[in-house]
This record gives sequence, structure tokens and C-alpha cells, in this order.
Amino acid sequence: MKRRKFLVLGSLLGLSPYIEAKETSSFEKSFKKVKETIAAVQDHMFPKNTKLPSATEMHAIAFLFETVKHKSYDKDIRAFVLEGAEELITREKGKFVLMDSAEKEKALRAYEETSYGRNWLSRIMTLTMEGLFSDPVYGANINESGWKALNAYGGKPRAKKRYVIDEV
Amino acid sequence: MKYDVVIVGSGASGGAVAYTLTQAGYKVAVLEKGRLLKREEFSKDELAYCRRDIVTPNLFDEYHTIEEKVDGKWETTPTYDSGWSFWNGNVVGGSSNFMSGMLHRMHPDDFRLKSKYGEIKGANVVDWPIGYDEMEPYYVKAEELVGISGKYKKHPFEPPRSTADFTQPPTNENAVVKLLDKSCKALDITPLVTPRAVLSRNKEHRNACFYSNFCGSYGCESGAKGSSREALLIPALATGNLTLMSNSYVKSLHTSKKEAVDYAVVVDTVTGKERHIYAKLFVVAAQAHESARLLLNSGNRLHPDGLGNSSGELGKNLIFSAGGSGQGELHEESLKEISFKELMQTGLFVNRSILDWYFIDHWWDGTFKGGSVEFMFEHQNIISRARKNNEESGKLVWGSALGEKLTDRFKKQKSIRFEIFNDWLPNDNCFVALDPIHKDKYGMPVGKLRVEAHPQDLKVGKYIAKKCEKVLEEMGAKNIYSGVSSSPPQNLVAGGCRFGDDPKHSVLNKYCQSHDVPNLFVADASFMPTGGSVPYTWTIYANAFRVADHIVATLKKVL
Repeated sequence: MKRRKFLVLGSLLGLSPYIEAKETSSFEKSFKKVKETIAAVQDHMFPKNTKLPSATEMHAIAFLFETVKHKSYDKDIRAFVLEGAEELITREKGKFVLMDSAEKEKALRAYEETSYGRNWLSRIMTLTMEGLFSDPVYGANINESGWKALNAYGGKPRAKKRYVIDEV
Repeated sequence: MKYDVVIVGSGASGGAVAYTLTQAGYKVAVLEKGRLLKREEFSKDELAYCRRDIVTPNLFDEYHTIEEKVDGKWETTPTYDSGWSFWNGNVVGGSSNFMSGMLHRMHPDDFRLKSKYGEIKGANVVDWPIGYDEMEPYYVKAEELVGISGKYKKHPFEPPRSTADFTQPPTNENAVVKLLDKSCKALDITPLVTPRAVLSRNKEHRNACFYSNFCGSYGCESGAKGSSREALLIPALATGNLTLMSNSYVKSLHTSKKEAVDYAVVVDTVTGKERHIYAKLFVVAAQAHESARLLLNSGNRLHPDGLGNSSGELGKNLIFSAGGSGQGELHEESLKEISFKELMQTGLFVNRSILDWYFIDHWWDGTFKGGSVEFMFEHQNIISRARKNNEESGKLVWGSALGEKLTDRFKKQKSIRFEIFNDWLPNDNCFVALDPIHKDKYGMPVGKLRVEAHPQDLKVGKYIAKKCEKVLEEMGAKNIYSGVSSSPPQNLVAGGCRFGDDPKHSVLNKYCQSHDVPNLFVADASFMPTGGSVPYTWTIYANAFRVADHIVATLKKVL
């Protein structure tokens, strides 16, 4: 299946205005509108007091923003990250971030029932895992907490710069 | 300036030709589309090297179109749409930087597959125009120069050697080999030590492996891996005869007379400036599907169907490595023979291959060409392992349950894996042509790959997979599974410029020289009419050394 069709299939919004947010220049502005929602989803998936470090403690939302904005990130998926969050906001009538944990669980499991929602939730989980388990140079594996939790460590030499060539 | 030789591509074959020619005193330019990475930049950064296009082009800029049969009809999808990249390591040294380095020589019968097994319906199998004897000295040269470590053990399907053993002993092994060897013995299977293009001892400017736990898919900071970059290009540069031009994309090769290429049309990928680079002789080594594309893109009124394509065979009979893989979990509570602590020791290699099923001649199963098997641990990448374990019964797992699941997966078990390599039979529906619509960012038509496999490939892969599953069962592994697919592994590609004695049915002669254009050679895996049932890399190195010797002899005559 073609990538674009796959990403938008089942979305209430369809081909949304976020297409322009494929470009890194307009991404930051669009991201601000959905940041709180994405952070709440990350926090629900990786809460405190489990065997893994929490998304909040590891600043996973900052990592997600920097990662998705980066030029190496797929521009279609960049738009999809925003669209999927907007879709969740719309589905839950803007109340997702205000919900308690049980309500969030119910809302996310319902979203997961749609193929679109499942793809988006899977993408957010992947982006969070990329933060927690990537080299600490990317900022979300603080003190190697993600690696320590799994007793699995990145090899040497470690990255000195993000994406090999970026300045830290 | 006019160089003696221009080489397009700096991977395994380009490096071997550059090494030989510069040692012989010729002035050589290597044109590499990608950039030069310093050794210290080869970190084990999973995010950069394994999850982003850092060493391959962005698919929206440069891509292929892939043609597959869907519901009986051919359907074409650009790779920017599917995300299925067919690029492999576009940096100085090419994909040899990122290989796992598990290498085998091809068997003498691989050079005469048609004579040995006869016609196979729907497959374009032919014998090679050379035999194993002509390649053997170059297998030795590659083994010694590239630095392949191993330990020879006589086996009915192990190709003969002119030297007694490897100059480098095997790399250090995880204790799991005790369990694997014992399990194989119980099943009357002979495990062999895998020859590996990784140094176990220091060699000249290169240091021995330091067992980082992350080898395949990553570059090597110690220089232990036998990449073109470390083993060949660095010594070639030391001669003073090599000009290495990175960030140099070759759009086409120009002919103003029918029998000779006179210059390469090159774009600086940083500035966008175009220039012509002249040489007496040109060697194409851009990886099989891209080499054929370059020659097709070099057509003009003198070569209307593509450069060196009077046979009409250019791009045809593209092959991949057929086969599949499987794995099983070794759990702490049910582990035999070795301690769990030994199993969990990181960095050490598994280093075991099975050649017992290379040729099948069985009273019940029949007589057919089989394949080889490599054993290894599951790739140790942390993000990808975590991602593979984040669902249950079709639903994502998160919260406390995810923490339990991942810590159990990482701390209480380790997966052992096998990979099967068998022949991808060349056929009429596996080829590369120019896409009539799509162009890359430099304005050149992209390669359109049709990638259908022959049904026999799947049959062989499944036959071997069942046997490998038995080995894992004997080892006490749990949750064993395997997958054999007709989907091509894009990093194991060959063919498209077949060599042969008949100019009407092949693109290259036995020395990989164009039948049509004498100052044009193709040195990469494009020449291979059949691929054997092993990874191609050792044969690519060996053949490129063989071709390079012929080029030296040719240059001596004309210069």
C-alpha cells in the first residue's frame, strides 16, 4: 500500500492542513497545538513507578519534537504525528489531557481499535522508545536510565554528535 | 587531467581494483557519491545508523521504483512511497563498511550449475565462463588482504583451498557454540567455523576486533572489519596514486566514438556543479542494480539501448540471495550445557555455519541445489528489540505491563538466530530497467526493478529452514519460528551485466570487460550469472582482484 494512503486511511480529518507541516519550518508552530496531547499519551504509555524510566522524567516530549523536526525524519510521518494527535483531540472533544488514567486508557484503547489510531499510537510508542533507548546524546536516555532498566547498553564508541554530523 | 583509470564506486570491488592499480603505479580516480566518514564517526549510534537515512540517500531525493505482482498484475511503487530502500551504504567504502562479514567461497559446482543440474523450467541458469580454479588464487588474495579470519575444516561441500588455513584465527566465540556444536552432533550435522571478514589480530594499520556487540549494520572504529575503506582504499591512498573524490555522483559515461568511453559526467553533490572527468579506462563498480542503471543512462546515438548493450542483456537476470531466517529463545531456566552468565556475555561471535545441505542428494527428498546456513545471536540493537516486544494478542502493551515484558525479554533470555542463503534463480521477471517517468534529483531516470523470485527458491529455503528449526529445538530453544520469503534482500544483489563468452548473450567477457566497449569494465557483482548459495562479498572481492590483474595487463599493452 502506498505510504500516504496508508497513513491517512481511516482518519476523520482525511488529508489535513498538516500537509504543510511536512516542512520543518512550519512544524514548530503546528506542534505547539498538539504538544500537550502527545506528552499525555507518552506519559500514559511510560508512566512513573514501572520497571522503565518514565516519559516525563526522560523529557521524552522534547526528544520527540527534536527528532520529528530533524531533516532526517520522514516528512510524511512528520505530518502524521501531528494529524494523529489532532484526531485524538477531536475524538475526545478536547478533553483527553484532562482525563484521569482510567479514562485515558479507555480513550486510547478505543482509538487503537481503528487502524489509523493504532498506527499513530504505535508511532508515538516508537518515538518514545527511540528516546529512552537511544544514545544519551539525544537527550532522553538521561544517565543511561533506559539502558540500565534493560541491562542492555549501546556499543562503543558512543555517539559524540547527534546523527553523526549534527552539533550536540 | 586525464587519469589512467576512473572507478565509479568505492565499495568492495571498486576498492579491490583501486588497490591493485595504484600498487602497479597507475593514476586512478575513485568517484564516490557518498561522503567520507572518519573512523571515529563510526559510532554505535542505533538511531542514526540503523533508523535514519544517514549513510543512504533520502528516498524523496533518490529512489528506485519496484515492480511486484499483485493479484496477477504488475504494480509499480516508488521506494519513497513504500519506505523500502534499495540503497546500501553510500559512503566511502560502500556497503562493505556495514556488512556482518560472514563470508564463504562459492563451491566449484556453483561455476557450472547448468552442467551439474541441467535446465530448470522458468530459470535462466548458465555455466560461468570461468571455473573455480581461475578464481581460487583470488579468494586467497582477498582472504589475506581483506583479512578474513577462520579455521579450515575439511567438509564435502567446503571448496578446496591452495593454502592450508586462514592467516588469522577465528574471532572469539560466545560459549553458546558449545551448546550449538553438541546439538548439531546429536543430529549428525557438521557445524563449521564461519570465515569472517573481521580481524582477530592486529594487521598493519588496523586493530583487532574489540567485540563491541554491534557489528553488522555499523561501521568499524578499530578497522577490524574488512571493508574496502580500511583494507584497500587506505593502502591505495598511501601510494600517492589515488585521487578519492567523495560527494561525486556519476550521471553517465560519455562516448564520442563507439568503442571507447572518454569521460564521466560527474555532479558535485554539495555544490551541484557538473564536470567531466577523463580517463583511458573506466571501471563501473556502483553495486549491481546501479551499475546497470548507469550504463543504461549512458546510452546515446552510438549506443541507443544503453552503453555496451548490443546483446540486449543489460539489466536482465538481476539476482538476489534467496532464503530466509528463523530464531528461537534460550531461557535462563531451561538452558543446557552452559551457564546463563556465559550466554549473556556480550560482544562475542557465534561463528558457526552449516554446509551440510549445500547440495541435496537424498533417496526421498531428491537431488537439487540447496544452500548454506549461518548462526548468530539476534541483532543486539536495543530500540529495535524493544519495539519487537511491545504487543500482545494484536494490541500494544504499555504501562507496567510493558516494563515487565521488556525487562523479562532483555534480562532472562537471549535469542539465537539462523539465516539461510540459497540461489535466487535468474529469471525473466527479475531485472533492472530505466523508469520511463521517475527521475532522481539530478534529473536522471531512476532504476526500475522487477523482483520476482522463482518458486524453486522458496522450496529450497523452506526445506533448509525445517532442518534449522530442529537444531534450535535440540538446543532447547523456545518459541521457535522461521520465515522464508520471495521478497528480495536489497543488500544482497548481483547480476544485470552477465559475463560470458558469447557477445550476443552476455554484456561482459570473462574478464568483466564490455564486449562492445574495450575500455569499459564492470567490476562489481553485476557479472554473476548465478550467485551460489553463500553471501556474495568474498566472491566480489576475489573477482575484482582477478579483473584488476587483467586491467593491469591491458594497460601495459596500451600505455
